[in-house]
Amino acid sequence: MDFGNYLALIAPELLISISGLVLLLVAAWVGDSAARPISILAALVLGVACFMVGPALFDGASGPDTNAFAGQFRADGFAAFAKMLIYLSGIACLMIAPAFFERLGAMRAEYPILILFSVLGTGIMVSSGNLITLYIGLELNSLAAYVLASFLRNDGRSAEAGLKYFILGALASGILLYGMSLVYGFTGTTDFTLIRAAMTLELSTGALFGLIFVLAGLAFKIAAVPFHMWTPDVYEGAPTPVTTFFASAPKVAAVALTVRVSLDAFGLQADAWRQIVIFAALASIVLGALGAIGQDNLKRLLAYSSINNVGFILIGLAAGTPQGASAVLVYLAIYVVMTIGSFVAILMLRDADGNYVENIRDIAGLSRAKPLIALILAGMMLSLAGLPPMFGFWGKFVVFQAAVQADLILLAALGIAASVIGAFYYLKVVKVMFFDEPAGVVQGRSETGHWVLLIGTAIIVSPLGYLLTIPLGLLADRAAVSLSLLP
Amino acid sequence: MLQTIAFYLFATLVVASAVMVIMSRNPVHSVLWLILSFFNAAGLMVLVGAEFIAMLLVIVYVGAVAVLFLFVVMMLDIDFASMRAGFVRNAPLGIAIALVLLAELVLGIGAYRAGALILGTPDGTAAPLLFESNIESIGALLYSRYLFLFESAGIILLVAMIGAIVLTHRERPAAHRRAHQDIGKQVRRNPKEATFNASPEIGKGIDL
Amino acid sequence: MIGIEHFIVVSAILFVLGVLGIFLNRKNIIVILMAIELILLAVNINLVAFSAFLGDLTGQIFAMFVLTVAAGEAAIGLAILVIYFRSRGTIAVQDANRMKG
Repeated sequence: MDFGNYLALIAPELLISISGLVLLLVAAWVGDSAARPISILAALVLGVACFMVGPALFDGASGPDTNAFAGQFRADGFAAFAKMLIYLSGIACLMIAPAFFERLGAMRAEYPILILFSVLGTGIMVSSGNLITLYIGLELNSLAAYVLASFLRNDGRSAEAGLKYFILGALASGILLYGMSLVYGFTGTTDFTLIRAAMTLELSTGALFGLIFVLAGLAFKIAAVPFHMWTPDVYEGAPTPVTTFFASAPKVAAVALTVRVSLDAFGLQADAWRQIVIFAALASIVLGALGAIGQDNLKRLLAYSSINNVGFILIGLAAGTPQGASAVLVYLAIYVVMTIGSFVAILMLRDADGNYVENIRDIAGLSRAKPLIALILAGMMLSLAGLPPMFGFWGKFVVFQAAVQADLILLAALGIAASVIGAFYYLKVVKVMFFDEPAGVVQGRSETGHWVLLIGTAIIVSPLGYLLTIPLGLLADRAAVSLSLLP
Repeated sequence: MLQTIAFYLFATLVVASAVMVIMSRNPVHSVLWLILSFFNAAGLMVLVGAEFIAMLLVIVYVGAVAVLFLFVVMMLDIDFASMRAGFVRNAPLGIAIALVLLAELVLGIGAYRAGALILGTPDGTAAPLLFESNIESIGALLYSRYLFLFESAGIILLVAMIGAIVLTHRERPAAHRRAHQDIGKQVRRNPKEATFNASPEIGKGIDL
Repeated sequence: MIGIEHFIVVSAILFVLGVLGIFLNRKNIIVILMAIELILLAVNINLVAFSAFLGDLTGQIFAMFVLTVAAGEAAIGLAILVIYFRSRGTIAVQDANRMKG
C-alpha cells in the first residue's frame, strides 16, 4: 500500500480538517457575523463526508486493504457505520445551534469550527487501530468538547459545567492512559491486532490491570455507572445544542470505540472483562432509571435517560459476539435519533420572554398550547423507555436477542425487569404534558430548521420506523463482521 | 553502581515532591514542588537513555507550569508580604534543595556518561533502534510511521489555541477601542499635517 | 540492580498520589490541575521505562504525544478556570455547587 491509498482511506478526515482550517480563516477575517454561513458550510461539509463514507458502509469494507498508516487507522465498515451516525448528528447540532445562540447574543463563528474538529476527533476515535490513535482522537474530541460545554462564557452554569467536565474528563484520560501504558508494557505493542495476538495466552497481572484501567477510562467517556456522575451536571449546565451534541456524536464514538477495543484488542480475553461490563450494564440501567425519579429539569432527566440507555447498549457488548456488536450499532442508531429528537423538542419550548423552558412543571398541559410538540415529545419519551409501539423498543429487542443467544439469559431478564422501572418516570412526563392543568408558560414560534429535524426524527421514532429494521440490521451486521472477530 | 545511586535519588525525590504537591497548603509552593518532581522525572528518563523526552519534559512542562504559576499569582489573594517574611525561615530548606539539585545534575550526567540502564531482558519482538542517537531515531519514526498521528496532534494544539482564545478573549467596548494604537496612522503622519504655526493675540490663546 | 519493576513502582506511586490529590484537595482547582499533571507524569515514566525495557521506540513516541496533549489540556483547563473565576470570583471547588452535583 502506498501513500496515495492511505490518503484515499482518510479522505473524510482530510476533507473535514481542511475545511475546518479554511472556515477558521473565514471566521477570523469576517468575524462573528459570518457565524450562520459558516454553520451552513460546515453542515454541507459533513454532508459530503457522509457520502464519502457511504461506499465503505454499504460494502461492509473489511480486511487489510482498509488499514492505513501501518494499521493505526482503519477505514472499515464498522468505522463507516459509526461515522455516518456521527456526521448526521453533527449536522443536526449545527442546524439547531444558530437560533439558540443568537437569541442569547452569544453566537460565535468558532462554534461550527469546534464542532467540526470535535467530529473529526470522534471520527479518528472510531477508526483507531492503535492505542495512540485512540488517545489522539479521544483528546481531539474532548478538548473541543470542554470548550463547547463552557461556550456560554457569561453564564455561570455553563462555566461550571465546563469545569466539571474538564476535571473529570482529564482524570478519566489519565486513568485510560495509565491503563494503556500498562497494556503497552506487558504486551510490547500498541497495535490492536498485535495486542490481541499477545493476549492469547494467560493474561499477566500487569496486562489485566491495564485492561481494567482502559475500560474504566472508556466507561467514563460513555457515562456508564460507576463513572456517570458528571453526566447530569454537564448535560444541565451546557448550552442545549451542545448537550445535544454530547448526547449524540461523542457518545456514538465512545461506544463504538469501546466495542472495538473490547472485541478486537481484548477480544480473546472476553472472560476477563465480561463480568465488569455486565455489572456496569445493570448498574447503569438501574441507577439511570432511579436517578431520573425526582428530577424536575428536563435536561437532567435526559441525562439519566442516557445513562440508562448506555446500560442497554452494554448488554449487547457483554454478549461479545458479532451479533452483539451489530445489536449495539442498531441500538446506537435508534438512540441517536431519539435523543436528538428529544433535545430539539426541548429547544422549541420557550416562555413569553424568549427564555428557554427546562423545568417539567412549566410544560404542564403542553398538549393544549403546542399539541404537535407535546405529542412528539411524548413519543420520544415512550420510545426512550422502550415501550413497544415505538421504534425505541426495537433497539432493546435486538440487544436482548443478542444477549439470549450468547447464553446471557439472566442478564437479559434482569435488563427487561429494570427497563420496567425506567418506564415509570417517562410516563410521568407524558402525564404532566397531557393531563395536568396548563401552566401556560410555553409560547412563541419555532424556526423551520427545528421543525424539519423534529418531524424527521419523529417519523423515524414512530412505528413507521420499523420499515427501517431490515436495511439497518443488514448494514449493522456487515459493519460488525468487518470488525474481523476471528480468533 | 553510579546509576543505582542516581535512580534511588531521583525516585525518592520525585515521590517526595509529588507528596508535597498535594499536601502543601500554599498553591505557589505546590507549583514549585511540581517543578522539582518534573526535574527528577526527567532525570529518571535520562537514566534509561530517553534523553529527548527528558529534555522535552523539562522544556514543555516547566514552561506550562510557569504559566500555571502565573495564574495562581494572578487569581488568588496571596499575601506576598508574609511570604517574604518567611524567607529567612525557609532559607535552609531552599539551600538544601539547591544543593540536592546540584548533586543530581552531577550524578545524572555521570550516570548518563556511564551508559543507559539495561532494564532486565525483553522477550517480545522488539524493534531495534534505528539510529545511534535517541533524538534521531525518534525523528525518523515520527515523520514516517507516525505521520498521521503527528499531524492530528497538530490539530489538537490548534483546537487548544482556538478554545483558549474563544473562552477568554473579550472585545473591548467601543470607548476603549479608540485608544488603540494605529501604527499605519502614526507612520502616515508628516510634519505638515501634524504641526501648524499660530500667532495668537496676547491674552486670547488658541483652540486645539 | 535496577530493573523495570523499580520504574513501575515509582510510576504507580505517582499515579496513586495524583488520584489521591484530586480527591483530597477539594480546596482549590489549581492543585487539582497539578494532580492531573502528576498522573500524566506517571504515565510518561511508565511509557519511557517500558520503551527502554522493550527496546522499542513506540513508547517514547507515545510519551511525546502525551506531552503534547497535556500542554493543550492545561491551556484549555486554565481558560475554563478563568471564565469560571470571572463569573464567580472564586476558584474553590466547594463553591461549584450551582447544580446539584
